Amino acid sequence: MANLRLRDLFRRRRGPLAFLAVVGPGLIAGVAGNDAGGITTYATLGSQTGLRFLWILPLTTLLLALVQESVARLGVVTGQGLSDLIRERFGVRWALFAMVVLLLANLANTVANVAGAASALAIFNVPILITAPLAALTVWVLVVYGTYRSVERIFLALTAVFLAYIAAALLANPNWATVASSLTTPNLGGVSGAEMLLLVAVVGTTVTPYMQFYLQSAVAEKGIGVEELGAARADAILGSIWTNFIAACVVIATAVALGSLGKPIASAAEAAVALEPLAGSFSKILFGAGLFGASLLAMAIMPLTTAFALAEAFGFESGVDKRLREAPIFYGIFTAILAIGAIVVMLPGLNPIGAIISSQYLQGLFLPIVLAFIVKLSSSKALLGEHASPRWLRLIGWGSVAILAILNVGIVVVNLLGLAA
Amino acid sequence: MLHLSRLIGRPVRDSSADAIGVIDDLIAAVGTSHPPITGLVVRTGRRRIYLGWSSVEQIDAAGATISATRVNISRFRRREDEILLKGDLLDKQIVDIDGRKVVRANDVILDFIDGAMRLVAVDVGTAGLLRRLGLPDAWVDRLSGERSRVASYIDWEDVDPLGSTIASVRLRVPHAGLSELHPADLATIVDQLTPRDRADIFNTLDEEVAAEALEELEPETRTDLLEDLEPERAADLLEEMSPDEAADAVAELSPLSRKEILRLMTKEERDDVQELLAHPEKSAGGLMTTEHVALRPQATAAEALAAIRRHKPDAEVAFAVYVVDGRRRLLGEVTLRDLVLASPAATVGALMEDEPVAVELLAHSDEVARVVTRYGLVAVPVVDVAHRLMGVITVSDALWDVLPEEWRREMPRRLHADSLAAAGPQELPARATTKRSTKSAPKSAAKVRKGPPRNKSSVKRG
Repeated sequence: MANLRLRDLFRRRRGPLAFLAVVGPGLIAGVAGNDAGGITTYATLGSQTGLRFLWILPLTTLLLALVQESVARLGVVTGQGLSDLIRERFGVRWALFAMVVLLLANLANTVANVAGAASALAIFNVPILITAPLAALTVWVLVVYGTYRSVERIFLALTAVFLAYIAAALLANPNWATVASSLTTPNLGGVSGAEMLLLVAVVGTTVTPYMQFYLQSAVAEKGIGVEELGAARADAILGSIWTNFIAACVVIATAVALGSLGKPIASAAEAAVALEPLAGSFSKILFGAGLFGASLLAMAIMPLTTAFALAEAFGFESGVDKRLREAPIFYGIFTAILAIGAIVVMLPGLNPIGAIISSQYLQGLFLPIVLAFIVKLSSSKALLGEHASPRWLRLIGWGSVAILAILNVGIVVVNLLGLAA
Repeated sequence: MLHLSRLIGRPVRDSSADAIGVIDDLIAAVGTSHPPITGLVVRTGRRRIYLGWSSVEQIDAAGATISATRVNISRFRRREDEILLKGDLLDKQIVDIDGRKVVRANDVILDFIDGAMRLVAVDVGTAGLLRRLGLPDAWVDRLSGERSRVASYIDWEDVDPLGSTIASVRLRVPHAGLSELHPADLATIVDQLTPRDRADIFNTLDEEVAAEALEELEPETRTDLLEDLEPERAADLLEEMSPDEAADAVAELSPLSRKEILRLMTKEERDDVQELLAHPEKSAGGLMTTEHVALRPQATAAEALAAIRRHKPDAEVAFAVYVVDGRRRLLGEVTLRDLVLASPAATVGALMEDEPVAVELLAHSDEVARVVTRYGLVAVPVVDVAHRLMGVITVSDALWDVLPEEWRREMPRRLHADSLAAAGPQELPARATTKRSTKSAPKSAAKVRKGPPRNKSSVKRG
């Protein structure tokens, strides 16, 4: 998944990644979607609200599928990355705006993943003040001195732990009738402000801005021809369903284990309880390892995607095969994001789980902006010709942008008023 | 000197100083080294109209003034040989031929030369970006620094504008500058491009240049590219490549396109490729090329040299001719050096080194690499079980599999005339020196010298 050289990665068809390489970027992007931010947000949704808001997941699946299909189409037909296209079609100012949004979103996500790594090791009683800087330094050295690719597979393998949630959800044996009705009947009755924030965080963690940039670059770099557009589409859509299937399992497993409390999870150790029906006393180790692997993986990808996207848009030297001196701005951005991520997590009194949820809420806040660019680009006849989005897709796209924007403005206003009062 | 970024959006006034619209774009007629500006696109309300350059009286950062008497207004329509500076060039990817890089046009520099406003350079630096953001010149200067600003201008002569990303508009760009490049540099650039731009470039390049660049491309890029090209064009290019490289390329193709492309190749080239395809990838047979010069013992040195002239084998293959009997069994080899030094009438049978080092068809690629290294060979002959000469493996192909991956990017797949000439710094190829401007002279020189100076040491053998 990591796009250290996406091209190399997808080209090399051996090792444990071989399967993923064949399955395609969409599916990989899907698994990668369940990073520290995703798992923590879904677990919190389960523990805080039980099964009440399961219906949000089919909706986010639909949104994710639509967005990823558009992005895959853009990548296949134009052969270019998203920031490339934003720059070429909307000019420098819009590109700068989009990049600032992406930068902020990814900064927040990096914070989330440093926090994820820290809380994973907190299970084993390692203090945050040690984990945060050490994890950041490790990732930095691995990426800059080029041994990252070999370790990446270990991290990726660790995240397979989250597949355990599928079994955990089954073993938890919830009331399946409740699950079915909750999945299919959207109900916002009696929703509190905090729950509203959480729902936006769920949307934000499912349809992350960075993932769209990453996916389009991956598709473009893979050089998939227009004749394979159907396959790329199916890949993007199946990937979305797959991610959210795992997400639903996390919510169900956590809801059964902790939902009776009705409050957010307080630590990674608490979230691990959801895996107990499956792994018993082993669950904490299992969960900790998975969370640690996912976090470290994302700690490399998030800053790298940002640096690559900025390089695409503004045309400076980029690439992890370059030396520090050859691509100073690229490595500068990478280093700065990683460093800021670590420093924020080390701030005294910061609650890692709270930081993760807030960062995912920010993703949701920025989503309509990124989404607007994608909808606009993918409906452009001049750019995509016959592959431009049809009318109904454009309508759904702009509709989603509008709903998310209104929701976000509403929440911000309500919270500001709440603070004032 | 004018910056395009400072012109776009500025008012267009008639002689009575009334604004009739704003500058939306500038049009240049491509084809010459510094193309003249031929017209303006003016936005008036919701309409875009074309204004011939002859009716423009004055243009600067304050806007344009047109002479009322000579106004020739018509609705804007694009013509074949014209580019829109904003629409087609600004923010688009271009190839910096001199720097061998794909970059993005941040701004466009115009100037009055020979009585006409011309497109002179493209700004790819920070200053261009800052200007586009609308910062005043004083700020741009302070933030970007004088030196970096000049260095980030690319002379239009060194720019290859890529095709537009806009599907409905295809620019016809001759890519003349690119075909001047060393194949390895061309390949480096092509590896950075989008699939569509790659195909565009390979359709316009000269066959020989395109084939050489294909040999240098990353294998996956090469496969994608061959499948994107018209099958006839792909077949033509494969015929032009050396048989072993062509076989490697064909082996990677999807079965369907492989069949189609092979069908379109000439019988001779197809047979070569198919024969090579039959050998396992990691064996001597899979590494070898069928291209070589083989002679009977009674042939003379003069005939041997004539044979080399006739076959024009690749540089590494031409370092030796092989002596075979009536059943193609390998008897010996004569180096090019010995042929040149010998009297023209001497027979190769007398000149040859008996029982030369050779590898068998099924020898593993590791062993081939070891043999080539131990004996310091430029090329090693490949024989079958009956000791019949089947082909030749060059040193670059022999070492390819054992090189660390980072080195492979640096290594040319073939010796090119340029790499040979560039071995001595005092003998830089003319191409590299003429294409050079002051800005990146050391860079381009270093780039050309990258090919290892193998021609010195490798003629002698153990």
